[in-house]
Parts: sequence; C-alpha cells; structure tokens
Amino acid sequence: MIDHQILFPFLIFLPALLGFVGCVIPKITFPLSVVMLLGYAASSFNYIGRDIAYHFTLVGEGGIQFSVDSYSFPLIFGSCITLLIVFGLFFKKFSHYYYQICLVLLSALLISFTTVDLVSMFISLELLGFSAFLLIADRNDRKSLFNSFQYLIGGGLAMLIYLIGVVQAFTFTGSFLLEDLVKAPETALCLIVAGLLTKSGVFLCGLWVPNIYSHANSQSSSVLAGCVTCAGIAPIARMSQILNPISDSMIVIGVISAVIAAIYAVFERDSGRALGWSSVSQLGIAILSPTYACSYAMQHGICKALLFSTLYSGKADENLDSSAITSSHNMPSRPSATNEFLRVIVFVVASLSIMGFPFLAGFITKNWIKYDIPYEAKIIYTTAALLTSTVYARLIFDRIKDFASQPYARLVLNLDRASKNLSDLFSSSQNYILILSVVGLILASTAAPDLFTFSAVQSAIVSAILGGILFVSVVGIQADEFVKPVTRTLDLVGAPFLVAALLLANLIYLKI
Amino acid sequence: MDLTPEKLRLIPMVALIVIGCFGLLNSKTMLRSLLSLDVIDTATISIFVLIAASAGSQTPIVTASRYSSYSDPYPQAIILTAIVIGFATQALLCAIALRLGRRSPMLRYRDLEK
Repeated sequence: MIDHQILFPFLIFLPALLGFVGCVIPKITFPLSVVMLLGYAASSFNYIGRDIAYHFTLVGEGGIQFSVDSYSFPLIFGSCITLLIVFGLFFKKFSHYYYQICLVLLSALLISFTTVDLVSMFISLELLGFSAFLLIADRNDRKSLFNSFQYLIGGGLAMLIYLIGVVQAFTFTGSFLLEDLVKAPETALCLIVAGLLTKSGVFLCGLWVPNIYSHANSQSSSVLAGCVTCAGIAPIARMSQILNPISDSMIVIGVISAVIAAIYAVFERDSGRALGWSSVSQLGIAILSPTYACSYAMQHGICKALLFSTLYSGKADENLDSSAITSSHNMPSRPSATNEFLRVIVFVVASLSIMGFPFLAGFITKNWIKYDIPYEAKIIYTTAALLTSTVYARLIFDRIKDFASQPYARLVLNLDRASKNLSDLFSSSQNYILILSVVGLILASTAAPDLFTFSAVQSAIVSAILGGILFVSVVGIQADEFVKPVTRTLDLVGAPFLVAALLLANLIYLKI
Repeated sequence: MDLTPEKLRLIPMVALIVIGCFGLLNSKTMLRSLLSLDVIDTATISIFVLIAASAGSQTPIVTASRYSSYSDPYPQAIILTAIVIGFATQALLCAIALRLGRRSPMLRYRDLEK
C-alpha cells in the first residue's frame, strides 16, 4: 500500500506527464493514455456517492493543500468518460498534438477539482484556459481564431478579477485557503465568484459559450462542453457549502441563468448555438444545489459530449473539417446507413437524458436537485425544465428530419437488409463506443431506484410531452435572426464586471 | 474606515486598474485591448507586491544579520506564477494577432466581428 500523500500528487500530474511525453513519441503514448483514462474512470466510479475524503499537502508543512472528496469523484469520472468518448470517436480526425493538449487539460482539471487553495485554483484555471484556447483554435480558420482570441482575453480578464479578489481576501484572512473565506469581506467574495462563473460559463458571464461551441470542431466542442465548463463547478460548490450568502446568491444567479438561457435556446435557429445556450442553462441549474452540483455537471457533461459528437452526420462532419482541402472530390465510401441511424439514436437518447426522461441518467440527477433546492426556487426550476424539454424536442425533430431526408434513410428499416444492417452495426469500433454509452446512460438510472415514484415519473413524462406541444406552438415565431448572436468583444469582456457588481449589490443591500 | 499609508499606496494601482478596464471596454482594435489587459495585469501584480510590503520593505532573505522589518514573502512567491502566466497570455494573444493581421492588418473589431 503506497502512501496516498505520494500517490495522489503522482496521479494528478500523470496526465500532463503523458501529454508531454506524447509530443515526443505519440504512437506509443496514445494507448497508454487510453488505459490511464480507463483506470481513472473505473477507480473514481468506485468512490462516487461514498463519503470518503483524502487530504494531502504538497511540499510538506504549510504547503499546497488538496482534498480528494465527494465533490471531485463525479467530476473526475465525467471528464474521463468525455475524453474517452472523444478519443474513441474522433481519433482518425485528430490534428497534430490534439490528444496531448487534451491530456494536459485533464491534468489542469484534476487540480481544479481537488485543490482547496485559491492560488492553485488560479493556476489550474489559467492552464485550463490555455488548453481550451488551443482546442478552440484547432479548426484554424479566421473565425475560430477570433473566437479563441475573445475567449482568452475574456478569460484572462476574469482571472485577473479573481486574483484581485484573492489578494483582498488575503489581507483580511492571511491565508489562501478556501475555508478561510468565511472571514473575507463581501467584495472579495464577489470578485472571486465572478471569475469562477466566467470560467464555468453561467449566464451573463457565459456569453462566450454559444459562439464558440457552434463554430469549433465537433471534437473540441465535445471536450469544451464535457470537461472545461465543469472546472468552475467544484470550487463554487465548495464555496456555497461553507458560505451561506454565496449559496443564496447562487440560487438567484442559477435560476436567472437557467430560465433566460433556455429562452434564448428556444428561439435559436442554429442547432449548435441552441446546444450552447442549453449548456449555459444546465450549468445554471447545476449551481443551485451545492450537494448535487457535481453529479449534475457530470451527467450533463457526458450527455453534451455525446450530443456534440453526433450532432452532424458522419459525412457532414468530414465535409466540415476538410472544407478547404480538395479531398471533397474523391469522397470516401458512402456512410453506412446503419451507422447514421445509430448516431441519430444516440443523439435522441442523450437529449432525452438531459430532458430528464425516466429510466435515463438525467432523471436521477434532475430529481436530486429538485428535492434539494428551496421551495421558492422550485417553480422557476420547473419552468426551466419545461423550456429545456422544448429545446430538445426541436433538436430531436431537426435531427430526425435531417436524417430522414437523406437517400439512405429508407435502407435502415428495410427488413430484407436486416442481417446486413446488423453486421454493419458491429463493424466499426466507433459503434461499440456509441452503443456502450447508450447502455451506460440507461444503466445509470438504476443507481437510485427509490426515486422512481409514480409522481416523479409522471411529471417527467408530462414535461416531455408539454415540451413537444410548446415546440409546435413556438415554431411559427422562430423567425430568422430573432435572437441576434452576441459576438461583440465588448459584451463578452464586460460581463464579469456586471456580475460582480450585481453580486455585491445582492450581498450588501438586497440580501436575497 | 481610516486611510493608513498602506491603503493610500494602493490608490494609484486601483486607478491603473480602472484605466485598464476603461481601455479594454473602449478599444476598437485588438492591439489596444491586448495592451489594456497588460495594464490590468501589471496593476494586479503591483497590488500583490504592495500588500506584501505592508509589514516592511526589506528583502525577506535570512542572512547573518537579521532584518527588523522584512516584507511578507508568501504573496511575493505566489505572484511570480501570475507574472509568468500573464506573459504567456500576452504571447498567445500576440500570436493570434499576427495570424489575424494577415487578412485584416488594421485588426479592427469592426472588420473581424463580421
């Protein structure tokens, strides 16, 4: 038995080490990193839900403190699974140094999930920002370069705001520990929380999310939606657990974010942007309850990664990537109808899971949050859930319509080809990953059987049906350009200031 | 709230932050917002250094002759990382500006945000 004082730091820095080694010998390191991700996912899955906490300190007495506890395990599991899905589905399309960046990103994520020290948090969030910047710029055209510029300048400013908050807290408490923030003044708390909210992409601070998700590569959007936005969730959950004013403010911000971003998503025409807005709305829901925030973010991250991976058909995806390259002339063999059908099924299942449909993972996490928030927030939470259902009803409808309009769609349901379709299904390794993830989403719903009361199942199904009806009723007013995309740099940069000011007003005067 | 010399020293830095934020929110080109970010960065680092110096301004190095009032080494050690990170941010932003500058040399947001 190795001492966990040595084991955990090693485990945290192992991904970064593999990433840097992978730059030198990429072929050998890739299978190693997949094995490592599987190991992380399996071992963290063991600890989810159990009340175990390991504390350790780097460089001896008075060093940097880490705490691997119930906040960290779900998020570690979610990020590992997201990265595994992305590695499995998009391995052939990875550009140079892509998976190495993902591994460094994982290291930054692990630090931000486990640290209880404000300065380590700052460093890990900056490292995360750089990795995310490289992932966004991976598509390498003018618009994505500009998007990544906006992300970096907005994120850099948010982290400076965070740093000013940290130094103000330091003058009052004399330490950089998260738990000592109890003695810190309100202004410091506001600045810190505004920085964290920007990184996690909650509404107003998270205006960058839809632009970037809709334009980046499918693989980059999956990683960004699945892992990067989770990084701010763990510290926010830790802070609202110990600080009552923060947890009250988080309910206000979360509710506002959940509803307004969902409304934006309903009126958005472009599927990618609608997914981005819905991501903002879901993270708003996640910060409502400190206890279950991490589980919710985990479920949302995995589902979003699946959604972004299967949003476009395999063929369209290749066109998207190689639009400038001449390979569009000699297209590879026509995509198999079965593979496309499988992608549609995965898309539908992941959407239903985020809607909170019974017998899927989303149902469990949604109900945990629902029973944990105060009564006043519950009605608005229900509204947000309904709007989410509407968004996903539209997305599912669009995706199926897109699939049905393809010439090969009819082949799938043709009984004569059933045996060939079945053999197609097990022909490629990507299909195995997709099937496994769907089975996993369904199996995850057995984690808490006591939640399957009649009323809960009933309300979930009713909200799904109501969402469909609402979609039919709003489809008429979805005019072109109803929602103007927020692309101005000024809006993206100014948002953290606004949120910090609002938070300060809330903490000092309004006291909601 | 009384104004001690320690707090008075911070006023120029706060003014610098306000100037930087003003520049960031009003800049019309990429280069200006890049420079404004650097101004805010510098101001934040200076705040850290000034707060560390509130205990005393002598170098916190243990030698044979101990100083009477040395500054707090903890924030100073920590801000070194922030300096490096700020430098890295600037380098990355400059690289992006170089790439984008080939197509639109003025780097105006009006042209880029289309």
